[in-house]
Amino acid sequence: MPFGRNLTAAAVEYMYDGGLPGLYSCIYDCVYADEMPAHIRRAGETAFGLFPQKEVATDERRALRVRNAIHDKISPAALELVETVFYSCLKDKELHILRFLLLGFATGPAVMRMPGDARVHALKQAERHFWREQHLLLGFIRFTDYEGFLAAAITPKNYALPFLARHFCERYRHESFMIYDKTHSMALVYKEYKPEFVRLEKFCFNPPPEKEESYRALWKQFYNAIAIEARVNLKCRMTHMHKRYWENMPEMEDALLPGAPPRGAPSQIQERSPRGITDGALIL
Amino acid sequence: MDLMRKLTILADSAKYDAACTSSGAGRAGGRGFGNTLAAGCCHSFSADGRCISLLKVLYTNHCIYDCRYCANRASNDVPRAAFLPQELARLTIEFYRRNYIEGLFLSSGVVKSPDYTMEQIIRALELIRYQHNFRGYIHAKAIPGASPGLVHKLGLLADRLSVNIEMPSELSLKRLAPQKSRRAILTPMAQIAAGHKQSEQEPAIYRNAPKFAVAGQATQMIIGASPESDYQIIRLASGLYSQYALKRVFYSAYIPTVEDTLLPAIDTKPPLLREHRLYQADWLMRQYHFTAEELLSEQTPNFNPYLDPKCNWAIHNLHVFPVDVNAAPRELLLRVPGIGPESVRRILYARRAGRLGLDDLKKIGVVLKRARYFILCADRPRGIHMGREAMTRALIDPGAITFGTEQLSMFDTAGTGLPGSGDVKTMQEAVEEAVLCLLAGI
Repeated sequence: MPFGRNLTAAAVEYMYDGGLPGLYSCIYDCVYADEMPAHIRRAGETAFGLFPQKEVATDERRALRVRNAIHDKISPAALELVETVFYSCLKDKELHILRFLLLGFATGPAVMRMPGDARVHALKQAERHFWREQHLLLGFIRFTDYEGFLAAAITPKNYALPFLARHFCERYRHESFMIYDKTHSMALVYKEYKPEFVRLEKFCFNPPPEKEESYRALWKQFYNAIAIEARVNLKCRMTHMHKRYWENMPEMEDALLPGAPPRGAPSQIQERSPRGITDGALIL
Repeated sequence: MDLMRKLTILADSAKYDAACTSSGAGRAGGRGFGNTLAAGCCHSFSADGRCISLLKVLYTNHCIYDCRYCANRASNDVPRAAFLPQELARLTIEFYRRNYIEGLFLSSGVVKSPDYTMEQIIRALELIRYQHNFRGYIHAKAIPGASPGLVHKLGLLADRLSVNIEMPSELSLKRLAPQKSRRAILTPMAQIAAGHKQSEQEPAIYRNAPKFAVAGQATQMIIGASPESDYQIIRLASGLYSQYALKRVFYSAYIPTVEDTLLPAIDTKPPLLREHRLYQADWLMRQYHFTAEELLSEQTPNFNPYLDPKCNWAIHNLHVFPVDVNAAPRELLLRVPGIGPESVRRILYARRAGRLGLDDLKKIGVVLKRARYFILCADRPRGIHMGREAMTRALIDPGAITFGTEQLSMFDTAGTGLPGSGDVKTMQEAVEEAVLCLLAGI
């Protein structure tokens, strides 16, 4: 492939279907057309129409060629970096990936040892953010027991669900459960030892059964009893457990209620119902 | 008594135990229920900012001992409770299913005798492990004075064991916990260390060897209830690490719960800054290859409240610096303030492809605010000379001042020439005073 050089800036926007093979096809087209687009957008994303749009059809064969080229000409580690960043919430990640790949094809495996370069740094930062959030979520996800079926909702910034799936399918191997990612409208459903990813635009949880309420109450009581009053440090808590995770954690319900004392940090209390999803139809 | 009341009492009594880590044991899920992560996992953070990883409770807070510093001492009038084994097992499993916790941390007051108490704990853990097939994390306290057979049994059930050393010296232990003896604490510790080592080697001899305390052992001591210096404390910790192969030593700032003539007054603030400095030093000993003797000495037996131990070491050992980040070995890079193990790893990885400059270091994650005075790099081949005053100002730990000026009174500031709690009014003033004092001291 004629990689390893800079592309000519072009006043054009590329569109792809939103999947990884789609992005690879898009990159293939950019390189062979010698065009550095102003944007690469996923289909369905709102565009402002400043530039003419080019829609790229996903071509599995071309996608595979790009993927193999990253693996062979740069390094397996670079491929892993690119595919992790693809699921991250980095703004304009498609262009960042394209720029990184152009640099990578020019320099080879050494690109991974260039942390000072802005193109590498952007991806590394996004990757770090991705893994940090993923790790925190392993702990912060809370399940509700609906008579034997466990359900949880999350609102992550990155698309971490496939990476969380592995952990929870192992941990709750003999259970049935689902994790609903509200941000990305996706759900992982694990039943009879089989995980499955489903697209769910809107989903609502039933109010928890009575037995569940009693365990939540016990948990909240434990949470409050374990803190040492003489050491209260709300700022420290906020640093370790950002407020955006609270809405899905029963022990933080009271701290989020409107009228709860502003706890430590200046950020305002979110105007959300404490249990997360309450509007709409009942499914479970 | 209902479960809610029991849980309240027994969690409340367990809260002064500092250890709540769930690391050190990686176990895949299997035919049983659950698994463990080698790196550990925090499930929540309580209002005091500490990680909640395990369901941390006492089996019972009834206690025949009368340790002066303890809220559960026999002579203290507090509500008492005890779990039933099946109650505790069910609670652990149900919390674990909802992903509230990573496992169980079980300690206990001493009922009847150490052996009797251990038997109770073992019974509860057996129920969780064998009847519920629980494969999550369990941290159990071994009771000092229990028989070796029971300690062994406990180690087969738990991932991590710990025996609290409680006081930093034998003298203080005698004074404040007369029913406990140094020997009763160190004997199980030695047994656990030996058992852990043996269980690490056995799988090489025969498969399916029983696993004994895979995540090793830890201990905890109370800081500020007795007169030991920081130097004595870190010397003790360093001895424990080398002799008993401890994974962690935890330091717990003493919080007065009962009025006692032998202890600090009930309105004394817990020495949090001092505890923080001890943890920093502990980290330096475990991850940065510092020895206790490098950090403190008989002449300066306590940590400087304004500087973290690493910066303090650096400004007293300026002859080691500057360090060339593009050439220095790992051990030397680790000595630079502002560079930690992760940054060192990245520097070593990156510098094989080209020489690193300040901008590269910043992106790697080096804290240049502190590191810049101690390094040479591609675009600063002769280093940065800004004078000692600027350097000292950059190294002062803002935490020392935001920890509250009362904190400083925990250090004996009279002889050191450092400003005490009464002298400082604003943050700015405090920093300026500290700079002057530190400069005079170098």
